[in-house]
Amino acid sequence: MPLNIDQLAEQIVTLDQTKQMALLEKVAELNFQHGLVDLSQMYRKRLEKEGRLTQTASEIMAQLGQIREETAAHDPVL
Amino acid sequence: MIPSSEWIVLDTNIWIFGLRNQSERPACAQVRQRLPRFSIKVPRQILLELGANLSHDEMDALFRLLNHYPDRVGISWERANAQLIQKYQELGCKAGDAAVAAHVETLNISVLVSESRDFLTEISGLPFQVLNAQEVLQKINS
Repeated sequence: MPLNIDQLAEQIVTLDQTKQMALLEKVAELNFQHGLVDLSQMYRKRLEKEGRLTQTASEIMAQLGQIREETAAHDPVL
Repeated sequence: MIPSSEWIVLDTNIWIFGLRNQSERPACAQVRQRLPRFSIKVPRQILLELGANLSHDEMDALFRLLNHYPDRVGISWERANAQLIQKYQELGCKAGDAAVAAHVETLNISVLVSESRDFLTEISGLPFQVLNAQEVLQKINS
């Protein structure tokens, strides 16, 4: 049976400080990783809807190159 | 070997191929999966380019993620140094590529990860390394 939050916290405080820090870091890492997976799914879903998911890498590279120069042109520092 | 504490910059193509899970560039998806293993700076030019590719909601989601991981992710909205941009343009870079190179140099980054590094390979004496996704994965595994 899964632990509730209080039980989980009780277990965590029995760990020494180093392990607690490592655990918190691991949780942050996993949150980051899972968030990127969610974002990737959201992005792919939109691209599929727009019929752009099957674009080739070279088509995407060409678009990115164009966006790069347009962005630099609209955000000039020179 | 790239220590996890060493700041690197991922070019927009790494972010985009990684998020698209582009089958022709599997190393980019692997970099995305292993992002927590890196310390990443995201400079202005890359942020603006990501904004041009991602929807408003997708950018919101990305910012929420990046902002929740400040030990490993640094966002920099500083404009690129004009003299450095000019330097890279004189060395043969287009304006956008020059801005990315200038950001990387200004932020004192030692590794730029890009799938289009040809824009910098002609330049000798670069103050940073340019690695593709496959190479950076090898470096963290070595």
